[in-house]
Amino acid sequence: MKIFTTMLATAALVASPLLADDAEWETWGLTDDAITIGVMGPFSGNASSYSKALVGMMAYYDKVNDAGGVHGRKLVAVQEDTACDSAKGLAAAKKLISQDEVFMLQGNSCSGVALALRPTIVEAGLPWIVAHAVSDSISDPMAHNIFHGVPTGSANGRAMAAFVLSKPDTENVAIIEHSNDWAHSYSNPARDYLKEHGVSPSQELTMERGQTDATAQILKLRQNKPDFIIAALYEAETAIFLRDLKKYGMGDIPVMGTAGTDLENTLKRTGDFDTVKNYYVIHSYVDNLDGTLMKPWADMIHKYAPDEELSTFSFVSIGSAEALVAALEAVGPDLTRSKLIAALEQVHDFDTGILSDPITWTATDHQGVKSSAVAGFVDGEPTVLKAWGQPY
Amino acid sequence: MLMQLTLGGLSQGMIYALIALSLTVVYRSTTVVNFGHGDFVMAGAFVSYVLVVLAGVAFLPAAALSMIAMFVLGVLFNRGLVRPIQGGPHIGLALMCIAAGYVLRGIARMVWGREVLPMPAVFDMQPIFIGNLVITGDAVFIIGTVLVLLVLFFGLMAMTDLGKMVQAVYQSPRGARLIGLNVDRFNDFSWGIGAALGALGGILVAPVSLLHPDLGASFLIKGFAAMTLGGFGSLGGAVLGGVLLGIAEQYAGAYLDSALIEITAYLVIVAVLFIRPQGLFGRKAVVKV
Repeated sequence: MKIFTTMLATAALVASPLLADDAEWETWGLTDDAITIGVMGPFSGNASSYSKALVGMMAYYDKVNDAGGVHGRKLVAVQEDTACDSAKGLAAAKKLISQDEVFMLQGNSCSGVALALRPTIVEAGLPWIVAHAVSDSISDPMAHNIFHGVPTGSANGRAMAAFVLSKPDTENVAIIEHSNDWAHSYSNPARDYLKEHGVSPSQELTMERGQTDATAQILKLRQNKPDFIIAALYEAETAIFLRDLKKYGMGDIPVMGTAGTDLENTLKRTGDFDTVKNYYVIHSYVDNLDGTLMKPWADMIHKYAPDEELSTFSFVSIGSAEALVAALEAVGPDLTRSKLIAALEQVHDFDTGILSDPITWTATDHQGVKSSAVAGFVDGEPTVLKAWGQPY
Repeated sequence: MLMQLTLGGLSQGMIYALIALSLTVVYRSTTVVNFGHGDFVMAGAFVSYVLVVLAGVAFLPAAALSMIAMFVLGVLFNRGLVRPIQGGPHIGLALMCIAAGYVLRGIARMVWGREVLPMPAVFDMQPIFIGNLVITGDAVFIIGTVLVLLVLFFGLMAMTDLGKMVQAVYQSPRGARLIGLNVDRFNDFSWGIGAALGALGGILVAPVSLLHPDLGASFLIKGFAAMTLGGFGSLGGAVLGGVLLGIAEQYAGAYLDSALIEITAYLVIVAVLFIRPQGLFGRKAVVKV
């Protein structure tokens, strides 16, 4: 008995620093009046327009803080620039986790960067809500601490293909895309959906980032005469592609774009309505950007970021920020990382009032948003659509 | 399709030609390869954007003012940052160029960081359709402008005393000094002309593509590939190399695989270095031992 007691005491002595470490780890980045949240995004570089997503999210933090915070704690964002570059993103994540010791992470545009960060963040174990990047592989296979708060590429890709096939008599579908994970995260599910419905893409083309001319691709399309084109291209290349499409007399072919672009900015960049009149994009919101349902969110962003020029990205991360705050409220004042993860897994059918589909996270599925609406110009006005010719 | 691809390649290739030529002008006079040149191209485009879109200046005067501004910047860059370290190791000069390029890019990011900006089209000309061939206003403008500029440039080099003096400095700076030419001033002039020509490349491509601070990076690689193909140090070779590269990209993209467009420049560099390292018009390096 004496030996057993001695062993138990020794084990307790050995384990106590580890338990103390665990307890400390659970509340890293947490004080009585603040929850520090690492916010990574491309604040510089040629994909820096995506960092608008984080401006909307941080404006929501400010709104919550102005209302007293969550159980008396303010949401304090610690920003780090990834420049949409995996190496820089990894350095940013390590700094936030080890040096700044943030409580959790939320944000991240650029799927390639988010994928590169995944192993580091899984190992670190702190909660991470992916608020903009869409690649399925970020949250599938499921990691216990990673939650996707926007429609993933597969949800969006399938929504894109569903919209394309909802146009009567669509049989000849071409795909043009970048050769990166981000583009594949849209195009592969779209391909799968098309094939499930008996349609194989008639043409698959590549247009790389930084290309300033799409002549070769468009001439190939001109020979093929597709009924619809699926374009998984970033903003600048989308504008160049649409411009060249019109230039070569093919502006009447509808083009389905990703959530990486929006109608208003694409119109601004091409500078010509005729160029974008047949362009459709994934639109994850309940209304047009200037619609009445979006106005309160636009006002919120402008209250905290008065100079912010709104685009579709400005709103994309707000829904997941709402879900985070709901989970933090549910945990109560005695917050730990494990409790937050458990509370996030209890978020069911959460209507954000901004995303077109609700957020549901469970213990077995952390991809929270399962579908998306589409936006296109109808009678010259941006309109949210459920299917071809059907308003949302 | 072949005609259309050739026209598209010619239009794109003219921009590469201009950038390769501007790199070569600096290289021939100073033996410095300006690794920051892509950002000079970007800076020229942004200066013209400010003048056209923000200040409301018409395109042509704005383009001229941008080229003058970039000429001055090129001269100042040489006088202030290159000349003081010219006697040092070559790597120092290369790093100085890269640093200057990043400074320009950083300034553009500070001002326009998150935006991809549209530049208004120069000619609001409807495309001309000849059968299947589409001739766009952009293509006409780019090819026409660069051709005029090339005629002026090569005419100046071949038929004027100034051109002969420039060639003398290119061939032997020491000899040029001995006959009383101010070589330092010629070097200033080369940096200025290089920056201005590069800026024109940016100005011409801006209405076709879009503006962002990282615009210049891909053009730098295209410029290097064109220089390599034409022969390092050959002015005519740089132009021909640029045009051939533009056309090769289009052919490869249309007849082989569209993914090849982006890597054509790299393939050209590798192929030329293996098959004919001196390029089309370069001279074989001969070392006397």
